[in-house]
Amino acid sequence: MQTPVANLIKRGGDTYASVARRTGLQARTVRMIATGETPIDRVSVGTIRQLASALGVSPAQLIEPEAPHPGDPALTRPERLARAVREVMWSETPPTYYPSPVEESDATLARVEPPDFFAGTEPIDADRG
Amino acid sequence: MPIGAEVYRPVEPDGELSCGDIAYLTLARTREAGEVPPGEVYDPIGRIPAYPRPATLALAHGREVALDTMFGLVVTHSCEIGRQRNRGADEGHWDCRLTVAPIVPEPRVRFGGGPAAEAGAWGAIAENIPVASFYLPDVANLSALGPDMPAEAWPRAFADLRGLSTVSRRIVRADRLMGLAPDYVGVLQRQLVRFFVWRDIARHEQVESLVGRRVVSVIPAGSGAGRLAVALTADDGSSLTVELVTR
Repeated sequence: MQTPVANLIKRGGDTYASVARRTGLQARTVRMIATGETPIDRVSVGTIRQLASALGVSPAQLIEPEAPHPGDPALTRPERLARAVREVMWSETPPTYYPSPVEESDATLARVEPPDFFAGTEPIDADRG
Repeated sequence: MPIGAEVYRPVEPDGELSCGDIAYLTLARTREAGEVPPGEVYDPIGRIPAYPRPATLALAHGREVALDTMFGLVVTHSCEIGRQRNRGADEGHWDCRLTVAPIVPEPRVRFGGGPAAEAGAWGAIAENIPVASFYLPDVANLSALGPDMPAEAWPRAFADLRGLSTVSRRIVRADRLMGLAPDYVGVLQRQLVRFFVWRDIARHEQVESLVGRRVVSVIPAGSGAGRLAVALTADDGSSLTVELVTR
């Protein structure tokens, strides 16, 4: 089971023993939390704080599971987003047709600003339903 | 014309979500299998554009879900994002959706009509003149915005309000690239008002006279050739006939 604690230990190049040393917890306790054998909602607040401090994150990050990312999970966030920008925002192939958002029929409709459009309008009486 | 360095701001990956966040995500559209855009004769402004390279997921009854992975702009107001909607709801009815507009980059699309028309269209988009688009300027190198930003160029683009969709806030949080500066969020709010409140209204004066009145009756006034006319009567006795396009 991939828990937030396990992911953080792996990402930081830590071991159960090294985290245990920094927290003062037993390595077995750290392992059981990291593997999900001990569900995080059964861990005391004090232990969660100790673990969070040792892993350099907020306690909430140990409780809230990480959302899945699109793309290669082995990449870091900047690497993943860099690849996405290259692949999605730029293109090596010819651009494709896309319907323009510019109105073609009566362009004056789009040029009226909201303050002009609503100028002189009486305030709406919310109690009227 | 807005400049990238003034428009964008870096975001903390785990920071609070807000209106104007830009994230890499997948937007879904349900449609009939093999469906193509309805074409210019139907609704050239309001139709859902066809995005490049959609993946599809087959459904029963000849339907499918088209999935477009792209960058999107969160348009849900920040106060709505922070609201707790799920209190008292069971797990099957949790609602964590945000409204997101797909971002259309200039290098990937052409509007047609030749270089001059293309330049004119982008000039109008850059001034936020069309009601259906929200301009997003280019940035030579995103890493200039913050230490964790990718060292990539960001082309000029626009958020297409015609393609608004909903997506989980957790997905947005996971893959946020950057956000909009507060001043430009104000420009976005104004553009949203323009899009939702008065786009496609052809008779401003008549509609304006009905603002604040209660509609007391709605009567079909005629139909044909793909159109349905409806007469609205207000509580002061005034009336307005509107025409709806049907399929």
